[in-house]
Amino acid sequence: MSLTTFGDWLYATPFSTALRQTTWVIPDVQTVHILAITVIVGSAIATELRLARVFATDRPVADVLSRYLPWMKWALVVLLVTGALLVIAEPGRTLTSTIFWTKMALVAGASLVTLRARRSLVVGMGDGSATQVEPATSRSLALLMLLVWCAIIFCGRFIAYI
Amino acid sequence: MSIDTTLQTIYDLPMSASIRENVNAFPLLESLHVVALAVVFGTIMIVDLRLIGVASHRREASRLIREFLPYTWVAFMLAVVTGLGMFMSNALSYAANTYFLLKMVALMVAGLNMAWFHSTAYRRISEWDETMPPPAAARFAGFTSLFTWMVVIFLGRWIGFTLEMVW
Repeated sequence: MSLTTFGDWLYATPFSTALRQTTWVIPDVQTVHILAITVIVGSAIATELRLARVFATDRPVADVLSRYLPWMKWALVVLLVTGALLVIAEPGRTLTSTIFWTKMALVAGASLVTLRARRSLVVGMGDGSATQVEPATSRSLALLMLLVWCAIIFCGRFIAYI
Repeated sequence: MSIDTTLQTIYDLPMSASIRENVNAFPLLESLHVVALAVVFGTIMIVDLRLIGVASHRREASRLIREFLPYTWVAFMLAVVTGLGMFMSNALSYAANTYFLLKMVALMVAGLNMAWFHSTAYRRISEWDETMPPPAAARFAGFTSLFTWMVVIFLGRWIGFTLEMVW
């Protein structure tokens, strides 16, 4: 089954039709989607700029990360759920769009770095031992991560246009 | 000069016309606006939560506020500039849109709440800098700010679904 056929099938399901035809659903789901991305961006500024050594440099990396990573994890869950609803409501606008799949690839990469690599820095250091050393994290990766989150927002908005 | 003539003048500006006529200009302004608001609300939210009593990455509320404020303000300026860009491209339409007008009211409420906080609880912040939970006035300001900014984003998203072209 091709993506187009799948999209057509999805579009015709009663659930997809109900989402589309209830006028308030799409704007309100998009609002929650945007609120979730603000949680990600705020937390990413704090954590990635800390790792880039430009923000809160007097605080241990593990402390800053452990404060924000749980929020990022839950915001990602909300993004996924609301995003899935938006795809179900309008499969034709997303599943066959290059911008949409570019966004998905960027989201997968950024989530992986955040939930695996960034979390490992907390697990590795947050044991309260007196001999904590700063991890040698890449400053360019941290700044790249912020750019990727911005690119994700751009892709999200451009799905509606291209 | 009536409001409508002013709006028409804004609409007729060469820059307004070029935003209307360039297919990429509007989505570009929108994307930048979302990035800007994500930084604005993303950083404000962290401060608001601290004012409500959620522990942050440092104990002192005053230092947390000072640490995030530059990011919030720079992003807010970007949100204003990109917002003005979208507004001028269809000034009459926005001025006639209820969600847009309510959003401007909500932004004013957010501003007044901030001004009130800064002239009251914030003046005595040294007395409660590390106190958990913070005093009632700080918690009230935090809640109000969180709620108001969420309303701003909600109203903003609805503008895009309700804007009717007025010429």
